Amino acid sequence: MSAAEDAQAVDRVLQGDLSAFEGIVRRWQGPLVNMAYRFCHDRGRAEEMAQEAFVRAFRGLAKWRRDAVFSTWLFALAANLYRTEIRRIPPRTVALDQIIEPADPSRTESGLEDEDRRRGVRRAVQSLPSKYREALVLFYFHDMDVATAAQSLRLPEGTLKARLARGRDMLRRKLLHGTR
Amino acid sequence: MEHDDLDRFLSDDEIVPSSGFAARVMEAVRAEASAPPAIPFPWLRALPGIAAVAVAFFAIVAGFVALGRSGVDTPVSTSLTLPPGTEVTWLIVVALLCTVPVVVSLRITRGHS
Repeated sequence: MSAAEDAQAVDRVLQGDLSAFEGIVRRWQGPLVNMAYRFCHDRGRAEEMAQEAFVRAFRGLAKWRRDAVFSTWLFALAANLYRTEIRRIPPRTVALDQIIEPADPSRTESGLEDEDRRRGVRRAVQSLPSKYREALVLFYFHDMDVATAAQSLRLPEGTLKARLARGRDMLRRKLLHGTR
Repeated sequence: MEHDDLDRFLSDDEIVPSSGFAARVMEAVRAEASAPPAIPFPWLRALPGIAAVAVAFFAIVAGFVALGRSGVDTPVSTSLTLPPGTEVTWLIVVALLCTVPVVVSLRITRGHS
């Protein structure tokens, strides 16, 4: 589905064709769930937050002004909702699906080490102040595209760059001193 | 930890939505679509009440300001003395002000029943 098809689907939904929204959901469910997962690292909660984002998008579909592509509007709406949700109920340091994950015997030692380091990075990211954490989460979610991440956060690019630099600096220091 | 390591760990953090996710979302969307629209606040009906409250508030403030000013020039009196004959007028004004919110409330509730 292209940006034009997104716009057509939105028009159909606004004319009362509810089934057209299913195309939007199928197209954007992966990105929206993944964005939520990066905020909370809990699959169940990520899907709940993404569902709420879709419902809010449906409710506010008429407010999409078409000055940007649909996905930009949708990501900004979702990012705003996720930020509020995470500030309201912060995620646990270690999510349940990480604890009960069975060990894979075929994994090499370096693979396990990699996984440990990945978890360490996640924990360090979660411990950052929200404005730096949000900047990092959205920057990496958008494949390190500053302009798109800034649009999602509704921030000027310069502000985002400054937060990224400061956030990465804090993250590196935390990891260096083992503050996990 | 190297810059590239951070980029790698923070970039490839992906999951796939569960198989029933889209169906659950559509169920929630259908429920949302079939829900009655939210009742807007009746600003038009509330306007007379709001105006009456605003008038009363400003009248009280103006009264206090006037009292304060008169207090600067004249000796402080322990009791508020009104010119003869104005007590009844004030009582009528206060009674009228009290009936305004009652009348407005009744009109609003009658409109909803």
